[in-house]
Amino acid sequence: MKIGKLITTALLGFMFFLFIGLDLVLFGVIPLNSVVVTIMPIIGLVLGAALVVVASRKQGSAVNTAPPAA
Amino acid sequence: MGALVFGTANTASAQIDGECSASGAWQDNGLKVDAQTVGDDVITIPRTDTVNWEGSVSSPPGEYSGSIWLELPPPFGKLKIDDWSGNGDSTSNSGSKEYDIPKLVPAGVEFEVAGEHFADNGDCTGYVKLVIDGGLFDSFVSIIFFVLTALFGVLFALVVWKMLVNAGFFARSAL
Repeated sequence: MKIGKLITTALLGFMFFLFIGLDLVLFGVIPLNSVVVTIMPIIGLVLGAALVVVASRKQGSAVNTAPPAA
Repeated sequence: MGALVFGTANTASAQIDGECSASGAWQDNGLKVDAQTVGDDVITIPRTDTVNWEGSVSSPPGEYSGSIWLELPPPFGKLKIDDWSGNGDSTSNSGSKEYDIPKLVPAGVEFEVAGEHFADNGDCTGYVKLVIDGGLFDSFVSIIFFVLTALFGVLFALVVWKMLVNAGFFARSAL
């Protein structure tokens, strides 16, 4: 697993979900002092990192189970 | 002596606890509030106006202090708007406050303004939920936020899609 890819994806998830949270505030769906504004970027961070981990494990298992080259 | 003045439209929108009273009237808009009797609805205030406010306590306060603030999302806490302190026997105060909320602050956002007043003869706390009157795109901040949401959304989706395809979750031929 590449650390750079993990950090990049996690940060993109953080920013994307942060702005989703802020948009929810702008639309009046949640108040400014809602804890959702705090939780959303953390969800994005964890989701981004988790996707990298899942993809890396899948890639790793595919390499391990591949038949040897003739 | 400071006062906890919370505005409201025709419906209830503030809560106050303690032996205090507070009220406000918007000069141009015509809004009126009595913090003792209003409820918990969100009210809409004009971006610019002058508020005639009144506040009182049930007995001479003696040593007193208080403040009002804007509630921010955790962990940012409070953003102080004003505070006061002193020593006196007067049980009431009033005044007018002209305000002009900058265009930077988006309309339609629900925010909570809270306050407290401490005195020798009793304490008061209160809050009000407010929304600035206006359209979603009155503030350029809204446009910037939507653009950044789309930008980060596309970037995030591209990175994740590419990563999942490379990991073998989807057939490469599909691309």
